Amino acid sequence: MRNRLKVLRAERDWSQAQLADAVSVSRQTINAIETGKYDPSLPLALKIGRLFNQPVEAIFFLDDGASPNPTGAHHVG
Amino acid sequence: MNVTSKSERSADYKGYLGFFAWAAFYFAARGLLELDTLGWWTRFAVAIVPVPVFAWVLWNVSKGIAQMDELQRRIQLEALAFAFPLTVLLLMTLGLLELAIGLNPADWSYRHVWPFVFLFYFAGLARAKRRYE
Repeated sequence: MRNRLKVLRAERDWSQAQLADAVSVSRQTINAIETGKYDPSLPLALKIGRLFNQPVEAIFFLDDGASPNPTGAHHVG
Repeated sequence: MNVTSKSERSADYKGYLGFFAWAAFYFAARGLLELDTLGWWTRFAVAIVPVPVFAWVLWNVSKGIAQMDELQRRIQLEALAFAFPLTVLLLMTLGLLELAIGLNPADWSYRHVWPFVFLFYFAGLARAKRRYE
């Protein structure tokens, strides 16, 4: 899975430690998520989404070549 | 890149300190017992002394695990998943070798085998940590 976490963090000029404290995890966990070595659990992904005021699917997306959906809106049909 | 925080390093430091304190008790007990000059009940008591010390270490470990986040717990799980089968393999192999060729108890008794369990765990821990860094 890929994510835009590093971009979102940089937009707010936060360090990894600050982001880690905000979602109650270690800096190691944030680093592992940003480098794609670890996929967060659903509760953690939801916390991150709430922190950045974005839907989870606008931050995390499957590594299948598709672009992220910034609005999180679904299009059926 | 070192991404552990100051509080995480402090917790690691306390964990290692507890482990080395237990190791000191254990090897002191072993040294006393190898002197072979103590009475039966004294020898029994000396052999049991490291047990409550290790129980204290385990209590601190369980407190530490309760404070870990999801990735840190996954790393611990992967370390144990690496160490446990290797431990089983070692014990099984030693058991068969004991039947097959006979093993000298002075070289392959319980007190010689348990360090391998820690070795396997720390190897698994290093492997798991490297995977996520």
